[in-house]
This record gives sequence, C-alpha cells and structure tokens, in this order.
Amino acid sequence: MRPASAGPADPPPFVLTQSVQAGLIVAAANRTALDLGIAPGLRFTDARARAPELLSGEIDREADARGLRNLAAWMVRWTPLAALDGLDGLMLETTGCDHLHGGEAAMVAALSQRLTRAGYAHRMGLAGTPGAASALARAAAKEGVPALLPEGTERDGLAELPVAALRLSNEAVTLLRRFGLPRIGQLYGIDRKALARRFQSRDMADAACLRLDQALGLRIEPLRPLQPPPAHSVRLACPEPIASSEAVVEGLRQITETLCADLARLGQGARSFAFHAFKSDGEVSSLTVTTARPVRTPAHIQSLFRETLDSIDPGFGIDLLLLEARRTGPMNVSAVALSGDLAASDTDDAALAALADRIVAKLGPGSVRVNTPQASHAPDRAEHWHPYDGALPPPSHTHATTGPRPVRMLSHPERVDVIAEVPDGPPLRFVWRRVVRIVSRADGPERINPEWWRSLPPVGGTGKMPRARDYYRVEDSKGGRYWLFRDGLYDDDRGAAPEWYVQGLFA
Amino acid sequence: MDLATLKANGIVRTQTARPPVRAVFPFGLSQAGVHELAEASFGDMPALTGFALAARSQGQNRGRAGAILWVTQAGLGMEHGLVPDGALQTFSPHHTPRLVVRPGKLADALWTIEEAIASSAVCLVVAEISGADFTATRRLALASGRHGVPVVLLMPYGREGATAAEARWRIAPRPSAPNRYDSRAPGAPRWHVVLERSRTAPHLAGRSFDLEWNDETLSLTVVPGLAAGQVTPPAPARRGPSDASGICRAS
Repeated sequence: MRPASAGPADPPPFVLTQSVQAGLIVAAANRTALDLGIAPGLRFTDARARAPELLSGEIDREADARGLRNLAAWMVRWTPLAALDGLDGLMLETTGCDHLHGGEAAMVAALSQRLTRAGYAHRMGLAGTPGAASALARAAAKEGVPALLPEGTERDGLAELPVAALRLSNEAVTLLRRFGLPRIGQLYGIDRKALARRFQSRDMADAACLRLDQALGLRIEPLRPLQPPPAHSVRLACPEPIASSEAVVEGLRQITETLCADLARLGQGARSFAFHAFKSDGEVSSLTVTTARPVRTPAHIQSLFRETLDSIDPGFGIDLLLLEARRTGPMNVSAVALSGDLAASDTDDAALAALADRIVAKLGPGSVRVNTPQASHAPDRAEHWHPYDGALPPPSHTHATTGPRPVRMLSHPERVDVIAEVPDGPPLRFVWRRVVRIVSRADGPERINPEWWRSLPPVGGTGKMPRARDYYRVEDSKGGRYWLFRDGLYDDDRGAAPEWYVQGLFA
Repeated sequence: MDLATLKANGIVRTQTARPPVRAVFPFGLSQAGVHELAEASFGDMPALTGFALAARSQGQNRGRAGAILWVTQAGLGMEHGLVPDGALQTFSPHHTPRLVVRPGKLADALWTIEEAIASSAVCLVVAEISGADFTATRRLALASGRHGVPVVLLMPYGREGATAAEARWRIAPRPSAPNRYDSRAPGAPRWHVVLERSRTAPHLAGRSFDLEWNDETLSLTVVPGLAAGQVTPPAPARRGPSDASGICRAS
C-alpha cells in the first residue's frame, strides 16, 4: 500500500531508490514509471536509461513502517484484530465485524472509499483464509476495485491466479514457471511428493506447499496482531460528526455505561480501557487509562478519562467513538463490613485503588508507589519501591533488631571530607555540602558487613569487592544529626584508604 | 459498586462528626485541618519530619482508618532525602500503610493533595512542597474541613506570607538531650518549635516550645527552659516565658 501520487492524470515518472551492495536499485515506482517498464528491482542506471526525465528520491523504510503501523492502528475502526503483512500490506481479521457495516461487500466498499479519500492507493482482497485474501489483493484486485471471494470457494477462485500471488520467494516462482506451472490451479493436481522433488532444496519445497495449503485453508495461519484484541469493546457511530468537547464527554458517558453493563453481566472488571475517537478526516485520537484493580464503575472510568480528554481535538468532527476493555478479569465484589472491627484491614482497598487510579491517570503510570520491605541488612537494600497495583504490602518487623535509623535517607550516599581518629574513631569534623560541621557528640560504630551471598568474588582476585561499613550517629554543634559511614576498614586489603559518606539524617 | 457506594463506604467507616480541636498542644496538628510546618533555616527538614511524625503519634488513637498519602515534590526529595517506611514505624506503635507520590510540578502536587482529601481511603496527607499561595491553602483548608482529613505541609525555610492554614509552625533542631548511658553520644532528639500563627489558639501565636521526643515511651515532652541548653548553650533565640497553661504533656 503506498500513498497515491496526487495531481494531474499523468504525473511524471517517479521512483524511490535503495542502495544495495550492487549499487542503486529501484525500490518502488509510480504508475507512469511502471508503464515505462521500470519495475522494483531494476537497477537505477537502467531505469534512468529508459526514462531520462525520471525523478527519484531515497526510500525511507522506517518512515514507511511507521506510517503502516499508524494505518494499522486506525484499522481498529473496522476490526480489533489488525496485523502487518510484509513491508507494504495489512491483514485484517473481519470475522464477526462485517454485520456492523452492512455485510462484507458494503464494508470493503466503505473501507476502500475512506482510504481513497485519505489519499492511499490500495488493493484489497477479501477471502476465507489469510493466504487467499493476500493472493487476491496482490494478483486479482485492481486499484479501487476490491476482489471478494465467498467463503469456501478459495480453490476455484485462486485457480487462475499466477503462482507469484502465493507469497513465494522469487526463486520458487521462477522455478515453477520453468516447470510450466504459472498458475495456482495447475498445482492442485500434482502429487505433493513429486512437486517437492522438483525443488532444489527441501525448505523451498516446504515453503511452497505451506503457502498453497494456507491459501486453501488446509493449514491454519494465525495472525500476529499489533494490539492484542480487547475482551470487550463498544462503539458509538455518530450520525453527524460531533465537533464539541461536551458531545465527546456525553458520548464517552454512553459507551462506558454500555461497556460496564456488559462487564457486570459477566461478573468481570477490566484493568485497562482504551478510548478511540475517529475523526472524519481519517485521523484517530486514542487515550488509555489503567487501574490498580479491576473496575467497572462508569463514573470512575469517566473521571479517569476526564484528565486527558482535553487532548482530543475534534477538528472537523468525530464520527465514531470506540471504547475497549483490556486485561479483564473476575471482579471480587464483597459486601463491605459495616463495623471497622469486622473488616480485614483498616484501609478501604477499593477506595484507595480508586484514588491511585485518578493520580496515575493524571501524573502518568508508575507515579503512585509503595514499599515492600526486603530482608537485607544493607540500609539501601531494605526497601523496594514499586508501583502500587492494588495490594498493600504486609507490615515489616525488621527494624527492631537494628540500631536507630534516620528519618530521612539520601537517595545516594554523599561523599564527605572527614577528620576522624584512625583507625576506627568517630568523625570529629566533616564537610558536607560545603558547610563545615563540628561534631559535638557521636555514637557508634554499628558495623554492617556486605552481604557476601550477593557479590561473588571476581575471578582472579582482582576487582572491587564490597567493603564493610561502620555507621556513626553524630550530632553537630548546631543540633543537626547525621548518619555517616566509613566505607571499609583500614586493614581489610580491599582498596585504598576508606572514604566517608553521609547516608541519612536523623530528626 | 458505583462511586456512591465507594463514598458511602468511607462515610460508614469514619467518624461523621469531627472531634472538637482542643486548644492544647499540638492544636490539632495531624488530627484536623491543614497545618504548615516550615524550616527555621535551610537543612532543618529532618527536624520538621521528626516533629510531624511525633505529633501525629500523640493523638493517634483518635485517628481515622486509612492509609497515609505522602506527596513529595520531585526536587525536594533530592535535596533532603526521602522518608523511609521504617521511620514511620519508629515514631508510631501502629502500622499504617503508606502510598508515595512524587509529582514534578507544584500544581500537580496540590491537585494530588486535594484529590486524596476527597477520597475516603486516606487518613492523613503529608506533603513536601516548595510553597503554596493563599488561594491554594484556602482550597486545601476547605476540602480538609469538608472531608475531615488532616493535612500536614512540610515547607522550606523561605515560607512566609498569608496562609489559610490552621497553624504555621517553625521548627529548628536543638542539641539533643543528654544520653544517660553514654555522655559522648547524642540522646533523645530535641526541637525548638515556634507556633507562628494559629487559628485554634490565636492568643498563643508567637509562643515557642522546646520539645523532646522520647522514643521509648513514644511521647513528646516540654523541656524546661533551664535544661534546654544543657550540653551546649542555646542559640540566642527569642523565647517567651514558659507558660504551662497552653501546653499539656501530651502522652
């Protein structure tokens, strides 16, 4: 699928070039160039020889892939399951979607019309199997004239098409043509073993048989969708394009209520919702919200979307709204204990999760964090902060066995210059953040040894080994209280003289 | 379950009537209303944190159920360090779950605080923010009054000007109490606390307290003026005559 060359009926010949080992070759050509016999794969010098007035540009595969991906995302308007097919094709699974658009023929016609309006040259095929649809699109369909094949008629429908439509390698196609088998129908009657023997390699033979079987539906061909299909989705087609944000809010309200009613009927909730607004000019705006636990409360879901709903610009009007529920799961709904004594915990988990959802919707994923205590002696390993997922970690009881711990911990220990008695006296004076602090009282050391089971000694005995830390609780003359440590001992043979760091601050 | 149920759920669990704030120390700090705690000079944030947690543990048995929401504006956490969960446990006998949010902008931080107040799942909001104008504090005070969720704002030393908060405290660390077992070691932490403004007890505005935190009995006590500077002489700070009527030994 490539953007159509707009403009007058006979545009000048134009090709996109790609540099390969052998030199510059033609990667894509417009219709005028194709009519002159300039096909993809031709060397650029030969192409220039055929059409001296040839225009050219370098192909940008990444931008093409991005464009194709965006187009595939837009296809969610027609079906939730869209997959990429090679470098220039899309594969849509439309089972169960066609009735929304008045049948297969009407759906294909509407899709074709919209693509044409958006300026995409395209060829479409529709058949019962991905292989057959691909063959139709590549060999039978004309631009703007889709090729349709009713279910179960693949065998007859494909018989007259060239074998090149079967997504085979160039060598295989050349080989089949040399055997005198240019059409797919001629392959039907040939014994498989005999067919396979004619190919040079077993792989090539297997590939040819596989593609043939897939096209005929004898072997199943799973699609790999770009987005996992949602568990539930609700669509609201607007009879007239809506252009005001109030109307979008109202539309969102209607479809959330429908979707939540669907979920409630199944006893399920969802942890992620995607809202798509399709504009009449062919653009789509998508918003996604995630929740900490499965929900199906319409008001809550709407309030989550409200934070980002302003980013939808109606433009020339929105003609279709679509809401998808992803990551659905059974919802644990239990009666709320009336008395606090009967409740499992003091905290109302549902309300807390609702609060976290709203904050996450506004500030971004992972912005609400919660700590799970870890069994580690190292103070900077004792805490593990992770995004809140609806479950509060159990309380820890580890601090009872340690010495006093500071009320604030610096995110990284900060190096300080210290005057202290060697080898293991407390600091007497230190400079932290360029301020000299005279220590009036000190307590320590509390030695915390490195956890040897976490750091295996490096092979050969050289390299940096973690060192024991001696922690001191000190107070300066102004009343500031600090948690300092000396990284290493003077006689531990693990590097230079130990350095001092500030790790935390006491109240 | 719809949102009404969620809200109703919170109402059933919590007290519908707010307990009246008595005009005794700590004047409802971390019990009701919005309280501002400000540094006396740069670097007093640990003392601020300690005082907030200590004051909270004084009236905790009257507290409502729920989690603590701790909001830290991103830059401030880098400057003063973060409060580990273990610190909460040293100051309080009860375990209270805590959620931490670190918004980058002040506006987002204020929004988060207000949102948390309105939810029924939070028993206390502690926020470290760089500042707030009168309108912002007024919004928070109104929301806090309506939903009965106390808010403690930890502010940097430059905090001045009008506020709608219940009280503004200014805190500086003091040399700690003598250590009974080791004279060379620091003892129980002490703070010099000035109640700069107060709506509950306007007549006490400007009064200062020297407080000591006992981590064994979990109590805040007033240090008599004479003993306060025992180890090192106190900084020449403004200190009013000790007035026992406004201070109760909170325990």
